[in-house]
Amino acid sequence: MSASDELALSPASGKAVYASGVHRLAVALTVSVFPLIWVGGLVTTYDAGMAVPDWPGTYGENMFAYQAWLFGPFDLMVEHGHRLLGSLSGLLCIGLVVAAYLRDERVWFRKWSVFVLAAVIAQGVLGGVRVLLDERTAAMIHGCTGPLFFAIATATAVMSSRWWFERNGQRIPDRGVGPGAVGQYATGRFIALTASVLTVTSYCQLIVGAQLRHTTGAVSPNEFKGFVHLHLGLAALVFLVALVLTLSVVAASGTPKQVRRVSLLLAIVVLCQIGLGIGTWLVNYALPWSELNATLAAYTIAAKGYWESMVVTAHQATGSLIISLATVTSMRAWRSRASLGH
Amino acid sequence: MIQSRNSQVQDLLQSRMSFLSNSRIDSLPTVWLAIVLLGIGTAGCDSVGDRFESNRIFAKRWELTESIDLSEPLADSEVVLTEFFGTPDEPKWPKFLNAGKGELVSLQNLERVAGAFSSGEKGEHKGLFREHCVVCHGVNGNGRGPSSALLTPYPRDFRLGKVKFKSTPIGHKPTKEDLKKILHRGIAGTSMPSFSTLVPEDIDALVDYVIYLSIRGELERKLIRDAAIELDLEGGERLYDPGSKEKYPEEFAEVRGRIEEWAVDIQESWFAAENAVVNVVGPPKGFPLVGSGVDAKAAAASVANGKKLFQGTIASCAFCHGAEAEGDGQTHNYDDWTREWTVMAGLNPKDKQSLEPMVNLGALKPTNIFPRNLTMGVFHGGSSPEELYTRIVNGIEGTGMPAAPLKPANSQGLTNEEVWDLVNYLRSFLPVEDQSLESQETNSDSFSEEDASK
Repeated sequence: MSASDELALSPASGKAVYASGVHRLAVALTVSVFPLIWVGGLVTTYDAGMAVPDWPGTYGENMFAYQAWLFGPFDLMVEHGHRLLGSLSGLLCIGLVVAAYLRDERVWFRKWSVFVLAAVIAQGVLGGVRVLLDERTAAMIHGCTGPLFFAIATATAVMSSRWWFERNGQRIPDRGVGPGAVGQYATGRFIALTASVLTVTSYCQLIVGAQLRHTTGAVSPNEFKGFVHLHLGLAALVFLVALVLTLSVVAASGTPKQVRRVSLLLAIVVLCQIGLGIGTWLVNYALPWSELNATLAAYTIAAKGYWESMVVTAHQATGSLIISLATVTSMRAWRSRASLGH
Repeated sequence: MIQSRNSQVQDLLQSRMSFLSNSRIDSLPTVWLAIVLLGIGTAGCDSVGDRFESNRIFAKRWELTESIDLSEPLADSEVVLTEFFGTPDEPKWPKFLNAGKGELVSLQNLERVAGAFSSGEKGEHKGLFREHCVVCHGVNGNGRGPSSALLTPYPRDFRLGKVKFKSTPIGHKPTKEDLKKILHRGIAGTSMPSFSTLVPEDIDALVDYVIYLSIRGELERKLIRDAAIELDLEGGERLYDPGSKEKYPEEFAEVRGRIEEWAVDIQESWFAAENAVVNVVGPPKGFPLVGSGVDAKAAAASVANGKKLFQGTIASCAFCHGAEAEGDGQTHNYDDWTREWTVMAGLNPKDKQSLEPMVNLGALKPTNIFPRNLTMGVFHGGSSPEELYTRIVNGIEGTGMPAAPLKPANSQGLTNEEVWDLVNYLRSFLPVEDQSLESQETNSDSFSEEDASK
């Protein structure tokens, strides 16, 4: 870590310093979780959750020493690959704790990093429980807590960022004061609230989606129908909240670019997600009015087909991405309000 | 001034970040631990393997028409069916069914398909039915899986033993090849996927399991119908009472023997399918099949004649499919799967109130069966000349689409050449690139040319 990466302790305030190493580890963790979620989604799409029947080992071997997965069937590759990616996230969490205790002077952040480590371990154990008990419901809970962990990792990256420290009233010494410098912009309370509502709503939406993804024969047609309608209703709500957020951010010129950019990206991702949602229904169940269009009428779903699987998995992974982006938006929005003394 | 502002900001931040205060952070791992325990605590929540759900809707139909209570026979039927066929997790195939013509269904295949799904180190899959079929067709193949209420058409209920797209006439079972073809190809424009990515052994095993569920379901229906019509339930007669085995061994053996015979008869109907396949009598020599590239002018004339026949009163296709084959003829019929618990039970499919007892038992809202819009050029049972011919001369089971009357059996019926004109008319709706006979899975080589002596 170079000296310029570290912010010196402000003699006047005695506040904590930005530690780039901690932030880089937090970002690496966040970046590692997204493919983990993708591959986890593939595990569900391909029903590969029981491709490795034991845990934490793999077919009786140490999971890190097991090599057959690279040349084995696809099910085995995605399940074992998911476990290895999970281990990578776990190692990054350990590194985060060490770095936080060495470099970050905020006591609460150090404890937070321990929580992040505990969460990744718990998530791994939950995945193991799913395998050992061969329980679809446990798989669904594991699938719901995955995106929650993604949000936690994202929050960690935000809270360890330079911008977060700057918004604490500390100026970076070599940046000085001028247009665009710290304290020039603030986010309106409505925007911060809307972003928070979007975070919660999109997570609720993901939980309902997980019910549909992990449906078993024990679910009645009426229950399933109820979940589908709820999923559609929440999709409409997420879209509306995202729309309101976007319009509010565009209208409020004082919103910091760190909030504005993420919220606009969020709006684009929400739009993509709606398209992926329609696609997911189409490749799973076809549309009920297929004869309105010759292409739809001629479309035959391919069970476990490549494109079918990618669309479904992308829909699930994009749901997690929305939660992550909404987390960034709301945390930055509240932070940029707080720093101006609202 | 600046210092004062910084101090305010700091205070405010501390209050804003209070959700991250030490005590809260300490409790967060507890929350995660609770989630893990919840995961462990869900053991058994999604279990569907210990028993097949009884056909209560079919029993209710007889309760309504015969004014009797069938709850005891229904419980008895579950006992005998479990003895014969086991459970979704542990299927059985009764030995007495293998005594006659051999093995229709392999127990090894049933074990491969049943139970929770998993896959091995070499890629072999188990629990195929729950992996691929349950969400639509349900655990016992009743067509009422979780997603069923939202699908058009509803998924097939295997328990009637009826299949729409097959090579045998109405009233006959499909062959195993027919079922394999459906699984391999899927049904375009519907929720039925193509399982062409599965290895042939998996397809074979799934076909066996579908037949297993069908035979089990047909026997269940036979038991319920027999209890409703033949048994003196008020006099205490039982459909099947294992408790009487020691007390009245002869009577018990007689009852069990009768039920076994029914099961054998049902299995026999599946064996018989192979001999019921309708032979496709090919068109006369030089007939201009659409897509054969022979004599486009003659093919156009054949298509025009096919259209005339389509609209005529003998084939009477337009009555349902509409004059221009757009599926806009009559649209108020119901298929057999709906009729059997509505019309056959004396209930009006449009009268919500009268359907309530059935809906409460899980019956899906009746929907009309809509004739296909053939102009889309998408044919659910396949678009090869052979398959279209088969559908015209066989009809489509359970749908109201009858077999076309044919000469010489019916003096007013269609000639074989006229059937081929109809085939040409239907194939004229195919996109040009799909008309070529070389692009079909089955082509004109698969049937012989018409024998003039027939």
